[in-house]
Amino acid sequence: MIWQLDISVLSLIVLCAFATIMVKDLLSAAIIFGAYSFLMCLLWTEMGAVDVAFTEASVGAGVSTILFIAAAYQTTRIVKPRKSGRILAKILGLAAAIVMGLVLLAAETNFPGFADPGSPASRHLSPYYITHTLSDTAVPNMVTSVLADYRGFDTMFETAVIFAAGLAVIAILRRFKHTGRCELPETYSISAGYQDTIIRFISRQLVPFMQLFALYVVAHGHHSPGGGFQGGVILGASFILLAISYDLKLVMNRLNEKWNILLGNIGVLIYASIGFICLLMGANFLDYSVLSKILPATDPVMARSHGMLGIEIGVAIAVMAIVVTIYLNLASHGKLDKGL
Amino acid sequence: MDIVVIMLTVAGVFLFFATTVGILRFPDFYSRMHAAGKGDTLSSLLMLLPLVLYNFHELNLANLLLAMKILLIGVFIFMASPTATHAIVDAGFEAGAKPWVKKPEEEA
Repeated sequence: MIWQLDISVLSLIVLCAFATIMVKDLLSAAIIFGAYSFLMCLLWTEMGAVDVAFTEASVGAGVSTILFIAAAYQTTRIVKPRKSGRILAKILGLAAAIVMGLVLLAAETNFPGFADPGSPASRHLSPYYITHTLSDTAVPNMVTSVLADYRGFDTMFETAVIFAAGLAVIAILRRFKHTGRCELPETYSISAGYQDTIIRFISRQLVPFMQLFALYVVAHGHHSPGGGFQGGVILGASFILLAISYDLKLVMNRLNEKWNILLGNIGVLIYASIGFICLLMGANFLDYSVLSKILPATDPVMARSHGMLGIEIGVAIAVMAIVVTIYLNLASHGKLDKGL
Repeated sequence: MDIVVIMLTVAGVFLFFATTVGILRFPDFYSRMHAAGKGDTLSSLLMLLPLVLYNFHELNLANLLLAMKILLIGVFIFMASPTATHAIVDAGFEAGAKPWVKKPEEEA
């Protein structure tokens, strides 16, 4: 770590965070937030957490910026000035923030210091992962093995959370034709009848490479930074790129709503069913080493590696479908006809 | 080879600096995007090329593959960056951004 670089990046991050809150234009706020994510990604890389940095770059800076822009584009862009005369609320808010901050600061003293070698996590847990990962699972990238094997249970519910987020977006935004909900203003879209050959051609050239790279990220997560989440987000982003440069119909023809929801389900189910297969074969939930009995030509160590690959594929499918679903619903007021 | 690497990097940094100055100082939207698009693309390549060359201090398969990957990043930047600039300029034109014109002598 170079502390000068850390300090400068960190101060830029704080600056970006303040700018995101203060700026009145929501589109600018979204873009500044994207810059914040990129700086965060830089900081993670600096600290050696390359997997986290990759996630931050693909999810934080890439897809969530697009989702924010789509949301701001379909609602309002400029923050309305607040009415003055809510001093009591402001004082209450400030008091609550100060009390909460003091409580957090008081709790902070009980934590072990940053990178303290004597802390409980560094004393036996981390050394175990560092020394045993390769012999236990034959996976060189420790982060993947912790994420998908030792802590596979957590990751399964993370995937379920993403799936639930997709369901929530559908439940809130999706509008079918003859439901008597309040009418929203007609979506105005700059892409109505407007075609740009350059953008379309280049995105058409880039999409296959993006998808290939996403599959590489999923499959190569054992050996290099990456895995199901990042690969799934990149896959979803390739569809979003198509939706932006062409229109929603093109994406809907390839990946319609039914398939999207189905794929989201299938992804989570792949994950859970691999766990259940382990359970059926007499081991613990998500204990992949028993899979060597049904997978041909594998010993228990390699079976753990293959089991991880299986759940990474499930995660990637679920994340891709959910990202595309959220974008399609946000960009079209939930009508899934046109927009952005 | 080190001299070439240093020269390319310095050129890249200088062009990045020029890009930043251009974005800040140019009078209107279009000329700012002109600075951003051109400077960004070229200086990115000028920063990536020395990385490729620096890798060849010891020539083996791993370094060769790494160099290939960096060059591929360069190729994709060369495709994506001008297109993004074009898209932004196009969106600005659609939204009706007025180009800056030099005021005639008699009006000034």
